[in-house]
Amino acid sequence: MSERKRLKFESRRKARREMEKREREEIEGWIGGEESAGEMLSRVSSVRPFLFPPPLHRVPLRVGNVLELVGPSPSAKTHILIHAAITALLPKHYGGLDHFVLFLDLDCRFDIARFSQLLLHRITEDGTRHCDQTLYDLCMARFLYARCYDTFQFLHTLRTLHCRLEKEKQVHGVGVHLLLIDSIGAFHWMDRASMFLSQRENNKKKLFLQTVSEAVVQNIRKLLQVHPMLVIATKSVIFGNKYSTSSNELKGNMEERCSRNVTRNHQTFQYREYMPSVWQSFVTHRILVRSSDDHPVATNYQNSSFYLLEWLLPRLNFADKIVVKDAGVFLDS
Amino acid sequence: MAPLKSLEKEYPLIDSNFQSFCSSHGIFSVEDFLLHDLDALIAFADNHPTSQTLKQGIDQLLSTIDALQPPLLNGLQLLEDAQRNKHVLLTGCERIDALLGGGLREGQLTELVGPSSSGKTQACLLSASTVAKHNSSVIYLDTGNSFSPQRIASFVGQSSGHVFDNQVDHILKKVLDRIICYSVFDVYQMFDVLHQLKSNLRSEIVKSNQHVRLLIVDSISSLITPILGGSGPQGHALMISAGFLLKKLAHENNIAVLVTNHVVGGEDGISKPALGESWKSVPHVRLLFSRDFGSNVCHISVLKHPSMASARAASSTLYL
Repeated sequence: MSERKRLKFESRRKARREMEKREREEIEGWIGGEESAGEMLSRVSSVRPFLFPPPLHRVPLRVGNVLELVGPSPSAKTHILIHAAITALLPKHYGGLDHFVLFLDLDCRFDIARFSQLLLHRITEDGTRHCDQTLYDLCMARFLYARCYDTFQFLHTLRTLHCRLEKEKQVHGVGVHLLLIDSIGAFHWMDRASMFLSQRENNKKKLFLQTVSEAVVQNIRKLLQVHPMLVIATKSVIFGNKYSTSSNELKGNMEERCSRNVTRNHQTFQYREYMPSVWQSFVTHRILVRSSDDHPVATNYQNSSFYLLEWLLPRLNFADKIVVKDAGVFLDS
Repeated sequence: MAPLKSLEKEYPLIDSNFQSFCSSHGIFSVEDFLLHDLDALIAFADNHPTSQTLKQGIDQLLSTIDALQPPLLNGLQLLEDAQRNKHVLLTGCERIDALLGGGLREGQLTELVGPSSSGKTQACLLSASTVAKHNSSVIYLDTGNSFSPQRIASFVGQSSGHVFDNQVDHILKKVLDRIICYSVFDVYQMFDVLHQLKSNLRSEIVKSNQHVRLLIVDSISSLITPILGGSGPQGHALMISAGFLLKKLAHENNIAVLVTNHVVGGEDGISKPALGESWKSVPHVRLLFSRDFGSNVCHISVLKHPSMASARAASSTLYL
């Protein structure tokens, strides 16, 4: 009896020791790592770099990032979206990123004629290059567009995008790597008012706005898992803008207006954040675009508007000046 | 969107078993279904004894929603649609047409902003008469009894030029026949008229000379301003949904929509367009009208236009 017990005890002890040894090896292997930081950087940067030309050039962006362009209307937000889209559509030897682009138009104001004009400008580089019709057709065919008139259409579009994008990928062999949403706050007022009409009697008592935003974020996340994309969304300011009043009161109104160039550039633009926190935490990068107050006295550009572009997240403490001309969006140096 | 019960008659798969399964997850209507996490629902359905029929019910529901789904178009299809269907309508005044880049574009919402008696209604009447002269119907929603057949007659008479009197009468009769004027005095009446128009356009087979090509709302701000304000979001929600309804009508039926708006005082005493920040993202094109006191000269500038890089460069003066 005692012999058998002893043997059992021994075998159990051996098994335990083996398990401990395996665990230790596993933990050591995990601590040791599979590759060094340098190796990982070189691997990641060669796989999917996103190098956008100005004005989005300050911070590197890659798939999985969500960039939000905030600004009062009118600012150059949609133009910046189109600019990014054209960069993504063009093949590599034209300086592009060579993949499909999906544009979800929630504002329902997209003008395809202007898009076509900007694409032509980019292809011909203002007349210096010959316009290639097949290239133009290829780029236009790579631009996918859907418009939604209310939140439920938007949710359903997001949900069914997976199958449609899968189909496109199989047909053309190139995937969608850029998702543009214009603008994410388009249905905000309608969703806010809906909470009074909702007949749900569940105990959670969540606001309709909150529920909708969670559903939107969840659907985009699921889509990103299957089709990794960079998401750029515009958001307009809907609560009126107030320049910080402290500098006004200090200098007094008359002096304020005389010394425009000095003071206005340093005013902080305050806007009220109205998107629910679930969207705010989903956003990884943020840019503020607003119109510039100093107009150059001698306008060399006849048909152009000036805007200030500032990175809020990650915070860069300077503002780029951009100009929107007939030919597109450029950095104003 | 309907509660699930109402779909039972048409789609037998959505039976009481399916409905009770959905209610156990808090889904009572199609809207709730869209908001719910679909993968989690399918996982729950898997564990249910009648999983096959439940999943078929889910598929059925998804396909009925699919029917209302906007299609995914590519750039070439969009451009073709814009070039083939979305024509440019002349307003009758060359200067305004030049500012608009050709004229009022079908599928777009154009807004005329300006203080009172700055020429907005005149511009609307002129556009209505010009479009009606070119064999198209015009729908005019008049909120302030400003529609004037006499003015239309004078516009037609001016543009007819060297034509005999009885022919002018004949043309005038046709033009006035094609302008359908509704008096609306509150925003709900406007919604009624627009929904009626939407269902008419969807179902009717119209003769070519009765196609509605222009929809004018003069002025939309007098309908919306009374409901804005107050602490709730309903006023703004109605304004934004009116904007979406107009844009949907414009895009799907190839209609140009023209609305007028007034101005309010802003900071530093500079006037700004009424209806606030949220309205700014609704119209495609915004024109600012102004008139010097006591003069005939009307000054118009472009505030926003999708095809123009800058607003500052374009402005014009004319006599209206």
